[in-house]
Amino acid sequence: MSAATINIRGLVFLVGDANPYFSRIVVSLLRSFGANSILEVRNSFEAIQLLNNQKIDILLCDDRLPPHGGLQVSYAVRRKRDNENRTIPILIMAGEARESLIKIARDAGSSMVMAKPVSASGLYDRLAWIAFNLRQFVETPTYYGPDRRFKNEGYRGGAGRRITDKQPADEIATPGETQNNTGLPSDPVLIG
Amino acid sequence: MAAPDDPHLIQIETHFQKMARRSGGISRQQALENAQVAIDSIKLGFGDWLDGEIQSLTAAITTGKSAAVGSIDWAESAVAHARQIRDVGTTMGYDLATFIAGNLCEICESIIAGAPPRIDLIDCHIGALALAKQPQYRHLRPDQVPELSTGLRRIVDVAGGSDEPGK
Repeated sequence: MSAATINIRGLVFLVGDANPYFSRIVVSLLRSFGANSILEVRNSFEAIQLLNNQKIDILLCDDRLPPHGGLQVSYAVRRKRDNENRTIPILIMAGEARESLIKIARDAGSSMVMAKPVSASGLYDRLAWIAFNLRQFVETPTYYGPDRRFKNEGYRGGAGRRITDKQPADEIATPGETQNNTGLPSDPVLIG
Repeated sequence: MAAPDDPHLIQIETHFQKMARRSGGISRQQALENAQVAIDSIKLGFGDWLDGEIQSLTAAITTGKSAAVGSIDWAESAVAHARQIRDVGTTMGYDLATFIAGNLCEICESIIAGAPPRIDLIDCHIGALALAKQPQYRHLRPDQVPELSTGLRRIVDVAGGSDEPGK
């Protein structure tokens, strides 16, 4: 992962977790990295209310944030066309980062899934990864969010389904990325 | 010509990305050093917090002992406290407590999913959790106490109705 320096001073973080102790750890880590504007919520009602009414720069949210869960929060933010926070990075924090959860989180428009417990290095590296890796967004009748196929290593059968899909230059010896293996740093094999 | 249902691709650079790439940030090394100081400060109160969570867990289990057949409210309360311990234990340096809390999560989730409630198996884990917060155990990893950790995993398998305990 990237070891680049990030400057997060002045950015508005929203941390959503029902566990005050866990939230305290995350807030302390963010402050250690230079953040000076961090909001905390304990439930999904507060999260959605804040996201509808205030400019937020990044959301870090527990996948089980009661009562709806963090994935519903992610979906709600992405779905609302006039929400100024519609394209913010969304980092889902999960106690059990199973492959099935990662797939659902990805389809809810989340940018990344991070397994709990959170380490300082893991959090810093993921924030740096988000900062330095621009991902185009995709809008379809059923999905709005980061391109779920951003690690393009070629297409199944050798041809993409989108008009804009191009075969990557150079050698591609194996079947390409599918929607089930996006190359996200959150994929279980990469969580470490 | 693109069909109406074709994916629409949008190039986006978020405010977070623009701002986070500015110069003048805190280097990774410095950030991690700052974080270590912050975590060390939080650790000071972790023992008291863990005591409180274990008490809440115990209270939920006590309720479960007298709960009506099929009632799972107590298990939902217990799993919430077990998850809280699991999610922060390792960061606070309590690896063994994290492992045991993870087991408790599995047991309570299997009860919520319909497995027979074996309170005795939960009691084993509550006892182990109390042990794991003692000074001589709190910094041990599960692989450093293989007899304990293997035994507890077998209990989880039994609680979940696995045909192959220990696997």
